[in-house]
Amino acid sequence: MRKILSVIKREYIQIVRTKGFIIGTILGPVFMLALIVVPIIVSSASVEKQETIGVVDLTHEIFMELDKKLDHRDYRLKDGFRRYVLEKFEASAGTEELRHELRERVLKKELSAYIYIPEDVLEIGARESAVRDSEPEEVKAEYVSEHTTDFEKLRALNGALNNVVIEKRLKREGLDPQKVAQYIKRVELQPIKITKKGEEKDTAGTFMISYFLALIIYMAILIYGQVIMRGVIEEKSSRVVEVVLSSLRPFQLMMGKILGIGAVGLTQFSIWTLFGIGASAYSTSFIPAGADFAMPSIPAHVFVYFVVFFILGYFLFGTLFAAIGSMVNSEKEAQQLVMPVTMFLIIPIMLMIFIIRAPDSSLAVFLSFIPFFAPILMFLRITVLLPPFGQIGASIVILILTILLMVWLTAKIYRVGILMYGKRPKFAEIVRWIKYR
Amino acid sequence: MNALEIEGISKKFGDFYAVKKLSFMILPGTIYGLLGPNGAGKTTTIRMVMNIIIPDEGSIKVLSRRMDEEMKERVGYLPEDRGLYPKMKVGELLMFLAEIKGLKGTDARKEIDFWLERFDLSDWKSKKVEELSRGMQQKLQFIVTVIHQPELIILDEPFSGLDPINTKLLKDIMLEMKKKGRTIVFSTHRMEQVEMICDNICLINKAERVLEGNLSQIKKQYGKNTVILDYDGEADFIKNFPEIEKIDDYGKFMEIKLKETFSPQDLLPKLVGKISINKYEVKEPTLNAIFIEKVGGKEVKDEEDTISH
Repeated sequence: MRKILSVIKREYIQIVRTKGFIIGTILGPVFMLALIVVPIIVSSASVEKQETIGVVDLTHEIFMELDKKLDHRDYRLKDGFRRYVLEKFEASAGTEELRHELRERVLKKELSAYIYIPEDVLEIGARESAVRDSEPEEVKAEYVSEHTTDFEKLRALNGALNNVVIEKRLKREGLDPQKVAQYIKRVELQPIKITKKGEEKDTAGTFMISYFLALIIYMAILIYGQVIMRGVIEEKSSRVVEVVLSSLRPFQLMMGKILGIGAVGLTQFSIWTLFGIGASAYSTSFIPAGADFAMPSIPAHVFVYFVVFFILGYFLFGTLFAAIGSMVNSEKEAQQLVMPVTMFLIIPIMLMIFIIRAPDSSLAVFLSFIPFFAPILMFLRITVLLPPFGQIGASIVILILTILLMVWLTAKIYRVGILMYGKRPKFAEIVRWIKYR
Repeated sequence: MNALEIEGISKKFGDFYAVKKLSFMILPGTIYGLLGPNGAGKTTTIRMVMNIIIPDEGSIKVLSRRMDEEMKERVGYLPEDRGLYPKMKVGELLMFLAEIKGLKGTDARKEIDFWLERFDLSDWKSKKVEELSRGMQQKLQFIVTVIHQPELIILDEPFSGLDPINTKLLKDIMLEMKKKGRTIVFSTHRMEQVEMICDNICLINKAERVLEGNLSQIKKQYGKNTVILDYDGEADFIKNFPEIEKIDDYGKFMEIKLKETFSPQDLLPKLVGKISINKYEVKEPTLNAIFIEKVGGKEVKDEEDTISH
């Protein structure tokens, strides 16, 4: 045991001291934060400027209203100027000639775009009776521009145009648009989650966090598993392993390595957790008292299970990665063998949405018992709806038994593989390694 | 009590015998040479002693006991493939490797400083291993082998890649260890090193033991009918003499083994006047000659057998 401790200590110190670890630990949260913050900053800072849009209004009724609508505060630039200036074009000579001319003007950048409103946008009656039971056919106006991918702009213009068109249609039928708006006011179906402890309204926040935590388990296993593998390959290629094995058993070396690197992982997560708590405390202080906003919090039991399943999952896959490392001579060679192991991690990630939607379906229960999926899927079920403790316990027991089996199996592969150089072993050879006494 | 007892061990890799029915034992406080050409099975034997490879049959006793974890602390091992953690600092590396040999912190520190001083590496203690030259890494590797004061020291090709100065340093330390009562086993295919320091040897060829025992006795057994001839001139005619058992001709220098019934005194008159003799010395055969006779000779004989059948 003292020898395993020495190995753990060596692994831990050697990794924690590397620039990679220090940079990774600092940049990890910065990177995450950047992932959230940067798009917000970029989109809010996007240079919106005034643009002129041509309008061909074949109904002759819409232009005025649309122009008035876009004069509204909601559609103006931050400095108060109009964002969209409309210019009306009459199709006196003929529609095709006009469209051709507008096309030229857009290309010459005199206009940023032109909107083409066909005659029949305001009509309703005839079409509706023809296709009574199916959806009414969509009427299309056109937005013609060189740039058609600014979804925000398209949505704004589309909204404004629709408002005008619908109001016009209602008025034609003699209805009061204001009243109709009230008639069709939506009602929200609010999800409320009940547990034995009570009920809570905000499920969206905790749901996001569960999803996030499951992803963290996935990433951590993948990243630290590869660290284990790389360590084994390095020991092998630097030929130091024979020296080490003249002092301790292969099993002790493997275990020490897995535990040491696991300790590095826990250290990194502790730092990030503290950072997260600090950051949320700091940002909460900016939220005015009484505001209807709460930082989504992680229930204590979820956190405990997170740690449990993280550790179990890490061990299960850690032994696999150690065995792979012992079988190969280089990282390049290892990639082929890593693929199937990674699949065991990717499949549950792909199943996440299904599990979240039907956490207690019999398929979900079954899947969450499969030891290689359990670290992610059982944990996910726990966060979405707390399954009966029997199920959680059974899954943990299955995981632990599988880990013991894998440790026994991989230790045998490791013992032989770590001293084998040259050709990568075939499957039959690996089976023979396991059978060695 | 023997330092090492090997009895009838065999190891097969597939259909190929790496070691076959090998037995020998080593007395404590002696230096033992494990000799043989490349691929004879020396490293496999040593790895079986170290419990890295498990023999298919036979038994190995190290310091009168089966090799286990506890025994590993009493044995020092220098593998054929040298290797250290390149990214670790010299001091930390030695500390780690001493710890897993069961050394406590304070004892380890004392030993580390002693050996770094002895090998003139003290200034490198806080440097990374990868910054050291090849020769320095070799020395460091040797320190790793002996830092825990093992009773039995096993060295696989210890002299390979060493310059003459470090070869001498290593040889001196090996003799020093012997004086302290430690037992040393080392493998090599270079005979001159063995002649200088070994008490006993075991010669292995093609997985099997060919020769074993006390070095000076072996040499005596190989007789006083070996002649070293230092000459100038055309000496090919000697090969046709009926007295000759075997000749290693190096051009200006010849090692001649006579048949047992002949004396070196009979040969000399036959040479006088025909070639210019600078030196005519009767002596025990060199180990090299024995080696070539035992290893090379057997091959030749095997071939002859095949032809005559």
